[in-house]
Amino acid sequence: MTLSTPMIWVLSPIVIAGVSLVLQKRRILSLVLTSLTAFGLALLAAFFPEDLTLSLGPLTLVFDESLAVLGRQITLAYEIFPFIAFIFGMTGLWSLSGNLPGVPAVFSPTSLVITAALTAAMGVEPFLYAALLIQIAVLFSIPMLTSAGEEIYRGILRYLVLMTIAMPLILIAGWLLTGVVILPPESPLIGQSALVLGLGFALWLAVFPFHSWVPMVSQHSQPMVVSYLLFILPTTILVFGLNFINRYAFLRTSGEIFNIIRISGVVMILFGGILTTVQDNLKRGFGFSALVETGFSLLAVGSIAEGGLVWMLMLFPARAMGYYLWGYALTRLESHCGSLDITNLRGCARQFPMLTAGLLLAQLSVAGLPLLASFPVKIALLTQIMTAQTALGVWSFIGNLGLFIFTIRLLLNFVMPIDREPPRFWALTEKASEFLPVIIVVLVLVALGLIPQHIDIGLTNILTAFPQLQ
Amino acid sequence: MIPVLAFVLIVIAAMVILIFKDWRVNSVALGVQYLAAFALVMLSWPIGLAVVKLIAGWMATAAIATTCMRQKKVESTPEPAASLFFRGLAGLLIVLVVFIVAPSLQANVFPQVELMILQAGLLLMGMSLMQLGMNSEPYLVVISLLSFLSGFEVIHAALELSTLLTGLFVLVNLGLALVGVYLVTLAGEVDNPPKEGDAV
Repeated sequence: MTLSTPMIWVLSPIVIAGVSLVLQKRRILSLVLTSLTAFGLALLAAFFPEDLTLSLGPLTLVFDESLAVLGRQITLAYEIFPFIAFIFGMTGLWSLSGNLPGVPAVFSPTSLVITAALTAAMGVEPFLYAALLIQIAVLFSIPMLTSAGEEIYRGILRYLVLMTIAMPLILIAGWLLTGVVILPPESPLIGQSALVLGLGFALWLAVFPFHSWVPMVSQHSQPMVVSYLLFILPTTILVFGLNFINRYAFLRTSGEIFNIIRISGVVMILFGGILTTVQDNLKRGFGFSALVETGFSLLAVGSIAEGGLVWMLMLFPARAMGYYLWGYALTRLESHCGSLDITNLRGCARQFPMLTAGLLLAQLSVAGLPLLASFPVKIALLTQIMTAQTALGVWSFIGNLGLFIFTIRLLLNFVMPIDREPPRFWALTEKASEFLPVIIVVLVLVALGLIPQHIDIGLTNILTAFPQLQ
Repeated sequence: MIPVLAFVLIVIAAMVILIFKDWRVNSVALGVQYLAAFALVMLSWPIGLAVVKLIAGWMATAAIATTCMRQKKVESTPEPAASLFFRGLAGLLIVLVVFIVAPSLQANVFPQVELMILQAGLLLMGMSLMQLGMNSEPYLVVISLLSFLSGFEVIHAALELSTLLTGLFVLVNLGLALVGVYLVTLAGEVDNPPKEGDAV
């Protein structure tokens, strides 16, 4: 049997996740197993030799980049390895927090399966079949969103429905596009194909008006799980979307299509930003902020001619770390304070200064505060859009302000003295094990903001896998 | 003769799923619908591959039906005739729209797909979307999604033949059914929490 890269990054995590599920009752063991696997696979992808040959002492292992499955192939080429390293690394990080209060026991193993399915989606040929693998990842995510005994929230059903409807649209669009290549540019079928494709991606990425499940799920599910899902799905779907732009010249060269994507992005930023501002529930606020982030990704894709794809890819690590910290802080605060309604958290910073600071910094980092991780990319993106289309730039700026205003509201509530017996004085009541992850992630966020050029994980190199987009 | 019969069965089954909420009726209709879809897929695919869809569909139906049987929450309550009439009317509207739209869609977009296959697929998809818009009960949502995918698979089978794709569709269908089982069970637990001393 020939060894292949899909065996390492698709089959092995699925097998290990299965073992981990069996060991579910030994939670720590299960957690260590999944985290180590995810980190191990991330490191392996990051340092794998370009000739796909591993030398371990006298043993030399030669890997094939393709694995034949039922007459088709899953190919994980060297060029895509930085992205694989990134998503597995992040999965490992989230898995480490699998034993936080309220996180379902299935979270760590399931996240590994989801990442494996999405990795397969990156490499399956024909690439359209990725739609089914993404759907499989979505199906796996349902149990971790609803833990036993909880009510089924409409948001989860809506999420399931919209994601399931997206899959046939992508498959049909892909089939239509293969025929469109030979058609003259004025053919109405070209526009129709683009419309079907756009609709599929809009459903997948929860673009307005298909966004309603995001705040609903965010409000009612566990924050760590939601933050992972809102990171991994849009990230992978956006990278998968590059396949379409790479393959079809009419998509690549159409100014109108990219303008529509840009406008959709601005609508998402504005809509999400304004709604974030007025939220009274922190978890729901996170959902709307995630919509703003999707908007920024769309804005970056829409600015493809100005190098927007590089910005889109550069946003991923900053966003991932921000989301992780956000989910972590919310989880910890929820276990300490109960409800995450803004009024319930008055004076909370006096008791939990590190966790509240972590939450505020996570929000500010995602919002693009100077010195924090998202700032270098967001300022470049906003400057570019301001120059190209001032009106869109202004609206994006206004939308992005929403998260800042929400954070300021939160800050005021956190530090507000309240009439309560006994009064809340400033004190560090968190344990070191609670705030240590906060400190580490904040340091990473600051480093990403201050010296982004020195912390290059090579994500932008994956564009070499898409020859037409370089 | 068989394709026409399959088409008629699909119309009846889809209407039944849309109109009635009783899980017993819906499960039987879903089973019949998969049988009819199999007959239509057989027009484009070899029987050996087409039968995979039938088996996967029946397995999904059995999983949902068995779970509903064990849950008290999904026991149906009699519905007013006006409600049934309204849903029936909505279903007829879908049939009408499909009959109007399908010929031009076939001529312009899917010339290689037989009209009857296209009509059947669109009918299933349309009825399921209507059902999804009118219900939020987990088992009805999952049944609608299974019907929606079944309709899509009928059309897609006429466009492409791939073993891997068939395998992935089977995984998605069974996965969806398992998610349905999970959600129905969860809804049942919330409605009827296990009493002390109950066997787990």
